[in-house]
Amino acid sequence: MYQYNEQDQNLINARVEQYRDQTRRFLAGEIPDEEFRALRLMNGLYIQRHAPMLRIAVPYGLMNSVQIRKLADITRKFDKNYAHFTTRTNIQLNWPKLEQVPDILAELAEVQMHSIQTSGNCLRNTTTDHFAGIIPDEVEDPRPWCEIIRQWTTLHPEFAYLPRKFKIAVAGSTEDRAATQVHDIGLHLVQNDAGETGFEVLVGGGLGRTPVIGKVIRSFLPKHDLLTYLEAILRVYNLNGRRDNKYKARIKILVNALGTEEFTRLVETEWDIIRATETRLTDEHIARIKGFFEPQPYAADAVDGLAVLENQLADNQEFSAWYERNTRDHKVAGYRAVVVSLKPHLKAPGDITDVQLDAVADLADKYNFGEIRSTHDQNLVLAHVAAGDLYQLWQSLRDQNLARPNIGTLTDMIVCPGFDFCSLANAHTLTVSEQINQKFDDLDYLHDIGDIKLNISGCINACAHHHVAHIGILGVDKNGEDFYQITLGGSSREDASLGKIIGRAVPQADVANTIEKVLQVYIDNRTDDERFIETVRRIGVAPFKERVYAPVN
Amino acid sequence: MPLLINRVVTEDSWLLVDEDNLSTHLNEDIVVPYELFAAEQEQLLSAEGGLGIRINGDQDLNLVLQNLDKLSLVTIEFPAFTDGRGFSFARILRRSGYSGQIRAEGDVTRDRLEYMERCGFDAFAIPADRFDETMVNAFGEVSVHYQGCADDERPIFRQ
Ligand code: SF4
Repeated sequence: MYQYNEQDQNLINARVEQYRDQTRRFLAGEIPDEEFRALRLMNGLYIQRHAPMLRIAVPYGLMNSVQIRKLADITRKFDKNYAHFTTRTNIQLNWPKLEQVPDILAELAEVQMHSIQTSGNCLRNTTTDHFAGIIPDEVEDPRPWCEIIRQWTTLHPEFAYLPRKFKIAVAGSTEDRAATQVHDIGLHLVQNDAGETGFEVLVGGGLGRTPVIGKVIRSFLPKHDLLTYLEAILRVYNLNGRRDNKYKARIKILVNALGTEEFTRLVETEWDIIRATETRLTDEHIARIKGFFEPQPYAADAVDGLAVLENQLADNQEFSAWYERNTRDHKVAGYRAVVVSLKPHLKAPGDITDVQLDAVADLADKYNFGEIRSTHDQNLVLAHVAAGDLYQLWQSLRDQNLARPNIGTLTDMIVCPGFDFCSLANAHTLTVSEQINQKFDDLDYLHDIGDIKLNISGCINACAHHHVAHIGILGVDKNGEDFYQITLGGSSREDASLGKIIGRAVPQADVANTIEKVLQVYIDNRTDDERFIETVRRIGVAPFKERVYAPVN
Repeated sequence: MPLLINRVVTEDSWLLVDEDNLSTHLNEDIVVPYELFAAEQEQLLSAEGGLGIRINGDQDLNLVLQNLDKLSLVTIEFPAFTDGRGFSFARILRRSGYSGQIRAEGDVTRDRLEYMERCGFDAFAIPADRFDETMVNAFGEVSVHYQGCADDERPIFRQ
């Protein structure tokens, strides 16, 4: 992974001191509330329902064991012994003290971490595929490009006060695990007819109250032009995006208002002016950054573990269920990628304790070259585990309650913090995920239902991406009571689509029962191998609607 | 209103005019609001004194770009500190070859000075109640720059 040099380190150290001084001046009454709000947000600090919340950046979801141990330590020293992973693959601390944040940042800087631009109306953390670099059919590893973008976005002087927040995602293969089509900018690594690598560029995707799928504005951007093209897009947005209404300020609204063609023309015109500037990438820089993402030193004899593994799988049903759901192919024979489930029974999705963090760091050192990844669906990945180590790893994870075999199933939900923590929430979310967990605890049933994506957002801001879940649940407030609107048929993958509302919102007590009815319609209608989303697409939402709202007799 | 030019507190030598007093001051160093500039372009461009224009993010930068060689001052207004359009305006002015003064005015306070300077501003009119001498320390607080900008077009990989 990328390692800071002296300049990188100087930059974050200086940023910590700058923020320390800003905090000091705020506490001394020298910075008005509203102005400090913008400054602290740009540094990841929110004021939540109960306390401040600090969001720590995990650039493109990649961490090492040293960083994970530091995080564990920080949760002990400054928080309540746990952290929370978000859908932007970042980490949130729910109970830091405003005065202590500069000290937390100083500790983070020691391990090359920071909270720069994890919030606010600026360029946010760039995300990517959590299986980057290990997929057989990848055009190219997207992570060097994410690092190049990270550097370009970090403390960008021109784009620090955008109309609204701005998120970029990069995918390196035809499978899209980074939800690129619902980002402000989605980048797909592609090859042209001449065999050169470049990017397909999508703009104006997004969720929130106006969910939109991004539009392709350029089918092939030569790789050296990546940053000049991003600069052109951002300049057009910075100058033309609406600033009078925060609900209409995202780039998707601008693209829709201008029309894709006109928007593209503005970008291309600007790009023509700047494409040959110094910002154009050099071969040396690309090569230098790529050098940090070389393949791990895989063992040639890892394949020998396969025979052992086969016996272990045959002998232990529990292990084999976990293997089936929570591991996947690696391009190097004898290795697999393991998903560490942060969706245990009856715990907040994405939460992890200090003890678990330490354990994961140790396991990463022992079995995974010290690397840990966070995923868009709030789990962790140990991407390079030798076949012969899987059984031991599974046992250790199970001891830590991190091996629930539910990856990709109904209980692998994305859930935002909702009313319990978030001051914008309309409804509780954790109560609902708990209810669903309680109702659908039977593993055989879950595995029979198979691949399904269920997301729960506590308000229309859609932090849990409910629009692009196969089953989306949105909390709404009806006269002070929590109700939930259900959508079906969304997807954030390569076949991206927005879910359709099936009917009036249901009261909190009925959510799990409603989901059960929905699943029953699937079970009744599915053909052999059909996944839930495929059935929904084939038969439409009407049969689901009928069953859910059928009069009770 | 305290004025910083090139990081030094400086007396303002420019006069902001309006419709009513334009003719009196026509041949002095004057700053003209955008609308007035648009309306009186001809006589302004043939006047003797130095000429400046005041513009904000809602107005069309092209009018400024078309007259760059006649202008010695461009004042960019920030109606709110959150309005980031001025940053791009300054950047575009500099890359178009403009070397006169670019002044930030309005909600201009310490924690944006460094970014503004990087984008090409060299003058800052700061509201008196938000001014103090230590403000100049804001420049250069973070000296490592990943991106090229108006101050140095080279990104880190070309420095
Ligand atoms: S979706 Fe709404 S309730 Fe949930 S975290 Fe986002 S803003 Fe808060």
